Amino acid sequence: MHLPDKLKKLLSGLEYILLLVVILLIWTIMEKRGSLNTVIMPAPSKILETFVKLVRSGQLWNNLLVSLVRVLKGYLIAASLGIVLGILIGLFRHLNRLTDLLIQIIKPIPPIAWIPLVILWFGIGEEGKVFLIFLGGFFTILINVVDGIRQTDRKLIEVSRSMETPFLKHVALLVIPHSAPNIFTGLRVGLSSCWMCVVAAELVSSTTGLGYMIMNARQFGQTDVVIVGMLTIGVLGKVMDSLLKVVEKAVIRWV
Amino acid sequence: MEKNEFIKVEHVSRTFEEKEGPLKVLDDVSFSMEKGELTCLLGASGCGKSTLLRAIAGLDTGHEGTVTIGGKPVLKPEKTRGIVFQEHRLFPWLTVEQNVAFALNGVDKKEKKQLVQKYIDLVDLTGFEKTYPRNLSGGMAQRAGIARALVNQPETILLDEPFGALDAFTKIAMQEELKKIQKRSGVTTIVVTHDIEEAVFLADKIIILSARPGRIKRIVEVTLPEPRDRNSDEFTRIKRDIYGEFFE
Repeated sequence: MHLPDKLKKLLSGLEYILLLVVILLIWTIMEKRGSLNTVIMPAPSKILETFVKLVRSGQLWNNLLVSLVRVLKGYLIAASLGIVLGILIGLFRHLNRLTDLLIQIIKPIPPIAWIPLVILWFGIGEEGKVFLIFLGGFFTILINVVDGIRQTDRKLIEVSRSMETPFLKHVALLVIPHSAPNIFTGLRVGLSSCWMCVVAAELVSSTTGLGYMIMNARQFGQTDVVIVGMLTIGVLGKVMDSLLKVVEKAVIRWV
Repeated sequence: MEKNEFIKVEHVSRTFEEKEGPLKVLDDVSFSMEKGELTCLLGASGCGKSTLLRAIAGLDTGHEGTVTIGGKPVLKPEKTRGIVFQEHRLFPWLTVEQNVAFALNGVDKKEKKQLVQKYIDLVDLTGFEKTYPRNLSGGMAQRAGIARALVNQPETILLDEPFGALDAFTKIAMQEELKKIQKRSGVTTIVVTHDIEEAVFLADKIIILSARPGRIKRIVEVTLPEPRDRNSDEFTRIKRDIYGEFFE
């Protein structure tokens, strides 16, 4: 059967949100039938209510803004250092061998494990939190950039060599554009790691931010606030990833 | 320097170290070329003709023997030798004109623009300056590759099965195009091919290589009048003669 394009579009749009709707439905039904312990798992309606309340009081917005700024600070440092160092390490074989082992060992350490040291090094101020978020994104970005640079098509490198292309031009017009898709993958995965670290970072004796809001609400048994905080982080992460995707599409126009 | 020795290939042998042991692909190949000549290296696949071209280009230096061009030994790639590869190898993120301009270094902006336009016009891509490679047909992409190889005004251009991936009609058109460009610019040209007709149509001299390891089997001077008629008796006779070298 041939469906009109508009209907097709509508259906695929519905498909996109279907699972979420079903989960919400089951959740609500369970609550109505009383088979949900609302102390540890509040109903969707209650979460929505809390969400509106937190928005009205400005509490959500303030915490969100604080977390967003922290994430962006940490992320920008991670992205710029990751790209620059990644390009250098990717280009120079010796630098790659020199740094590889260290990177491989530090990379698997979760940012949470850094917290004791971070408190000792930076105290409990802003810098420590930004540092933790930076750690969350840096290695992912670095490794993707290095991989991308090292995978530069050898056939195109031959072309460039055969023209005696100066090194900087070779890097700017061949190596970097060629690895742009990898760089963007690193930037996107890195951003989501940074977001994941914001809660960990705000464990470092914070009195603001979404991470704080979540941890604080837990102490008072406000599971609705916890879930609003979690969902805010999730939705914001998704929105920022989508924004980066738009940027990626605009930059990589040639595929 | 003698007139007939612009490019000199002397006792070139090449062995690759494979897992199964050494594999000899070229065995003591020697020949020379005049300036402005068009030579075809003709052989079945695996006869080492591309390896030989890479040695002349300076892209492969692991061989024995020497290659000299204009009295200078070839040790690395240089921009005095333009290369056209089997695949167009254009940079997908650059437009046609940017791809062609990439070959030019240390040329001022105005001159660069003129040169790029001149060679884009020469290969008949006028109007496609701002097109990205993904929107070009195979033949157009290969023409852009040729423009890129010529824009430096090299002494020599080396083409590695440049039309191998094109359909039969485009291929014939491109051969005629190449021949015209070559005659007009007088650039010394080597074309690697496994297509006998292509070799007879293009070449002043055909170097026939035997398979594995590649040795020079025979050198055929083609003195057909220009423009060459693929259906003339003489053309067919030469084709049949070369055909006999491969299939007894």
